[in-house]
Amino acid sequence: MFVSVAPGPGFVPPSTNDFNLPPIFGLNAYTTKPILLVFLSIIVISIFFIAAARKAAIVPGKLQFIGESIYAFVRKDLAEEIIGHGFLQFVPFLFTLFTFVLVNNVFGIIPFLQFPAMSHVSFPYVLAGFSYFIFHSIGIKKQGIGKYLKGIAFLPGVPKFAYILLTPIEIATYFFIRPVTLSLRLFANMFAGHLLLLVFIGGGNYMLHDSHLFMKILSPFSFGFGIAMTFFEFMVQCLQAYIITLLSALFIAGALVDEH
Amino acid sequence: MASNEEGALWSILGYLISGLLIWGGIGYGLDHWLNPRHHWFLLVGCLLGMGASIYLVWLRFGRE
Repeated sequence: MFVSVAPGPGFVPPSTNDFNLPPIFGLNAYTTKPILLVFLSIIVISIFFIAAARKAAIVPGKLQFIGESIYAFVRKDLAEEIIGHGFLQFVPFLFTLFTFVLVNNVFGIIPFLQFPAMSHVSFPYVLAGFSYFIFHSIGIKKQGIGKYLKGIAFLPGVPKFAYILLTPIEIATYFFIRPVTLSLRLFANMFAGHLLLLVFIGGGNYMLHDSHLFMKILSPFSFGFGIAMTFFEFMVQCLQAYIITLLSALFIAGALVDEH
Repeated sequence: MASNEEGALWSILGYLISGLLIWGGIGYGLDHWLNPRHHWFLLVGCLLGMGASIYLVWLRFGRE
């Protein structure tokens, strides 16, 4: 029938408890690792780009080249291509969003830091909140509130009775689904990725210290998979930073165009 | 145009989710309120929402 699990020190699988890190300085509850990592990321980004832009030469050095490549990527491939006319005023926001998310995500695999702040859902919520506020306010400013809302709710060229079906979907998409998908996608990817690394590396560690020789021999496989997953995570982290910026640019572009 | 196509992909996903949620939710609410023997309104709502959101995707992205 039921096999009772033997009590004692078994393998404790990683859980959400691994994300609730204690405050580092015991005195106040706000100095947790994610908060400090976010501050660190701001410092890192600032120093990097100040250093990259300080000695702007016509023939760029290595540092300047990297900095300019990232900037050119956000400006050309994201802002200009998607938003088009009048894209320049949104470049600072998109660039900040991209580098901030990118650095914080990549912190997830940097030794000793090893924690993506975006795996706490409140950080993506705030970022999505910025994006939400910006694209709605741009739309209202550009088209006027009546025309903007009408553009969202009533798609032109549709038979009248179809509005009964379509209007609720459009309103829900613009006002509820968009910020939720924007933030939850980033959160879920970072959360799951960190959990995955915890499983393989924590599991390998447990197997290595197990009393059975068999387990010890098998533990390198778990570590090996952990390393492979780390590279995979790096890819996911970059991709998620790209996607949240891409979607923000897309929503801004949608608010600027008044054809719909 | 690669970025734009990728953007369209995510927008389509958003429409499909919200169509299902909104009309499925309305159906669920009607079930709760009218209390029929089976969850007919939920079923009809989900199908209606799915159909409507596919129609909406076609309107937005399909017709050139």
